[in-house]
Amino acid sequence: MTALPGGTSSPRAALHVGDQAPVLEHVLTRTDLVVYAGASGDFNPMHHDEVQATAAGQPSVFGHGMFSMGLCGTALTNYVGIGNVRRFGVRFVRQTWPGERLQTRITVTALREAGDDHLADLDVRLVNEEGEEKVVGSATAVVAPGA
Amino acid sequence: MADDTLEQLIGTSTGRSVITVERGHVARFADAVQDPSPVYRDPRAASAAGLPGIPAPPTYPFVMGNFGRYPELQVDDDPPGSPVAALLGSLLAGGGLILHGEQELTYRRPVLVGDVLVGEGRVADAYRKESGGHTMTFVVVETIWRDRDSGEEVTTSRMTVLHRS
Repeated sequence: MTALPGGTSSPRAALHVGDQAPVLEHVLTRTDLVVYAGASGDFNPMHHDEVQATAAGQPSVFGHGMFSMGLCGTALTNYVGIGNVRRFGVRFVRQTWPGERLQTRITVTALREAGDDHLADLDVRLVNEEGEEKVVGSATAVVAPGA
Repeated sequence: MADDTLEQLIGTSTGRSVITVERGHVARFADAVQDPSPVYRDPRAASAAGLPGIPAPPTYPFVMGNFGRYPELQVDDDPPGSPVAALLGSLLAGGGLILHGEQELTYRRPVLVGDVLVGEGRVADAYRKESGGHTMTFVVVETIWRDRDSGEEVTTSRMTVLHRS
């Protein structure tokens, strides 16, 4: 398998509609939220200040939506290769809470060609242990020819 | 705010930023999204992966306006303040919550360490909905990031924020 222009080679020799990416699992901690706040520049206190979050009626601090999307992005690039994502969009459906075991769910929904590119469309979700959806979205990536 | 005022917001600029993409920030961001890949940290790994430099994770474009926005890079015709911040601020003053509803990113090429990018934002849409006894005010901001030197489009962010009364 050869490297694709502008990106790493796809980890799969051949993708099929219905294929599922390896699940990325992560138990959310308050430290994750502090690290994400610093790395993103998003210091909304609802994500790191328990005193302010509970005063605002929240049961605790909760995760940045973009942390959830970022976790999905990591699972996505693990699957299609860094540099190969062409589009990635999500809806933020529910808050995430410290202690939740979050899991990515990525499924190939279509394989198509656009010009010289071979593209895969993927359904992308983040769920907790109970299967509650946190983010729901989709992505398009360049994949190896003949995939 | 009346709906005609909301409509007048569509098409208005949310400002311009010139930013640098820095290696330390990219590595830190990869840590934060739980990605240990050496491609985000080691130029040799990035090169072995067929990339012309260390790339940034796919959601980095959402946050990159917060870093590397040095004063000498900016151009002096930047419009002052964002009309979106003003709108959301005035809505929030009456209570309620600001929520990030949706986020879409498209990529012409990966964002790379060393890039100097110019981001120009505009309000792509603004509308109001009633839902479950709440008034929901939606604003969609589209930001196009171009390479400062070549002018090529690199990545576009489409962010939907909403105020729920």
